[in-house]
Amino acid sequence: MQNLNRRTTLKLMGMGAALLAAGGRGWAQQAPTADQLVKGKHPKLIVLSQRPVVMETPYDLLVSQPEKTPKEILFIRNNVDLPGYNTVEGASAQGWKVEIGGLVDKPFSFEVSELFALPQAEVTMVLQCSGNGRTLYDPRPSGNPWQRGGVGNVTFRGVRLKDFLAAKGVKPSEKALFITAHASRQGNAPEFVRSVPIHALEHALLALSMNGEPLPAVHGGPVRLVFPGYFGVNNVKWVEKIEFTEGENTTAEQVPRYRVPVIPNTHLPFLPQEPGQRYPYNLQNSRPNWLVTLNSLIFAPLEGQTVEGPYVRVEGVAFNDGIVPIVSVEVSTNGGRTWHQAQLATQGKTFAWVRWRATLYLRPGQHEIMARAWDAAGRSQPLDGNIAWNERGYEYSGVMRVKFTVA
Amino acid sequence: MRRLEKGFLPWMALALGLLGYLAFGQYTLPEGPGKDLVLGKCQTCHDIGFVARERLSRDRWDGIIDEMVLRGLKLTSEERGAILDYLATYLGTEPPPAPPQVQASPAPKTGAQVYTNCAGCHGPQGEGNPPNFPPLKGHVASLLGAEGGRSYLLLAVLYGVQGTIRIGGKEYGGLMPGFSWLSDEEIALVLNHLAEWGAPKDFKAYTPDEVKAARAKGLTPEEVLKLRQGLKLP
Repeated sequence: MQNLNRRTTLKLMGMGAALLAAGGRGWAQQAPTADQLVKGKHPKLIVLSQRPVVMETPYDLLVSQPEKTPKEILFIRNNVDLPGYNTVEGASAQGWKVEIGGLVDKPFSFEVSELFALPQAEVTMVLQCSGNGRTLYDPRPSGNPWQRGGVGNVTFRGVRLKDFLAAKGVKPSEKALFITAHASRQGNAPEFVRSVPIHALEHALLALSMNGEPLPAVHGGPVRLVFPGYFGVNNVKWVEKIEFTEGENTTAEQVPRYRVPVIPNTHLPFLPQEPGQRYPYNLQNSRPNWLVTLNSLIFAPLEGQTVEGPYVRVEGVAFNDGIVPIVSVEVSTNGGRTWHQAQLATQGKTFAWVRWRATLYLRPGQHEIMARAWDAAGRSQPLDGNIAWNERGYEYSGVMRVKFTVA
Repeated sequence: MRRLEKGFLPWMALALGLLGYLAFGQYTLPEGPGKDLVLGKCQTCHDIGFVARERLSRDRWDGIIDEMVLRGLKLTSEERGAILDYLATYLGTEPPPAPPQVQASPAPKTGAQVYTNCAGCHGPQGEGNPPNFPPLKGHVASLLGAEGGRSYLLLAVLYGVQGTIRIGGKEYGGLMPGFSWLSDEEIALVLNHLAEWGAPKDFKAYTPDEVKAARAKGLTPEEVLKLRQGLKLP
């Protein structure tokens, strides 16, 4: 602080003053809280946008429910709001029709209400906005300023799309390489369309419930097409049309939004960018935010906390796309020089997050802990998350660091 | 003194910055040429916060406008130029130029100035924009004439309205956002501005205290719609 020179100080003041002048009116006025915008949400959720509704789970609330994220605190990233659907209550399935078409031998449509009578499947999975962690990029990319709370672990229940097609005797053609889902446009909602690779059909679910209750209207009720292992944006809410297609759709949600730069047909997960630069996104030189990036979060201790020592319990969660198991989570208290293995609560492939914990012997004083996950494919997390900087700030997965004090 | 300067100024600067940040939490645009155009065009589809909170290079703003055009934004090339100039200047990577008015007490706002928040959807003269956004001229007069209509109008501006409404045989389905981030004074001003376009003879001007009292109700836009459905409108 003492090193701030006069110039920087003046500059800072200037910015503060300019910002004040810019937004000075009524800064003490109350902005609507999460529960006022969406009925049944926890009032402490951080409202990032009122329209469309975007709200983040504060980190302390997120970690208070380490098993499953209840609907009251689950984040929301709407690209489209449906009038009347801003509630965690379920939405009526009465009269809700879904069309299945594109490259299938027998296009058909069905009423969502008929799904309730069919065999149900359940999947617990991480639902995460691909912009989660965006504020950790530097310089800050454009988009909703997510910290770490654009994520949750929820159980969806519904009818497997694959089984449903089989029961109807409908087969996608071999030319169908993508599943393209459209959200309802009722109430003049703008269109929202998203494509995923046909591989996602394996686990795709026409979800009717979440955490054992009717699927909240604001989270896509009465029916959401859920793709376990895929980032939030791909799990189309209020689905009304599912097409099997030869190519990805070309609306803005598919390109240039929700993509990161790549070299086509290489196994480099992303092409590093000069931070601050632009990139000419097209369908070939970039890939969509599809599979959930391997990541781990520290749930305890929390940033700035003081804990009893010398034995300190460190815990958190780790998750990936569910294609291979997470095999280890390791923690370091010396900036990454040495790492200790944490214990994983479960083994094997899963779309859910896996809890982990470790007990460390720490002397009184300030400490910084880091956590890093590995999966069976040898994937891990960058120590410096900024290596993945991209102009819209997607897929942050840098190693998390938490500073705390041992009493 | 030197010590004070060294120790105090940075904190002061940060405090000011923080205050500025808090102010921005309410998502208002800095004053500058083009501001009203930005409000009008962008708020049609989303919160102005999406714009106000960004600090981007001119090049990047240009890209964002491209993206919005892909999503349905319609602009003439003049409008595009004016919007880009505004964004790059006032929401750029460098601090914006000093705001024009620096007097100790800024000139009092008028209802017409506050109305720029509404003009994007409802039109500069309250003419509306079917099929999404209803006219205000004429319609506000009938609202104010109906029993409970005066209080409904205030709640609609404060909390928004969600759901399809019918006016004069036409349906309007656009979403009305709440404007609770405006001050009590500003909301009263804009409501009285609307009333200038037509109100019953016994119309009583809205007061900031009334707005303040309405804030305690904490309604959702759906609840406001229900209130509207209970009104006896011509």
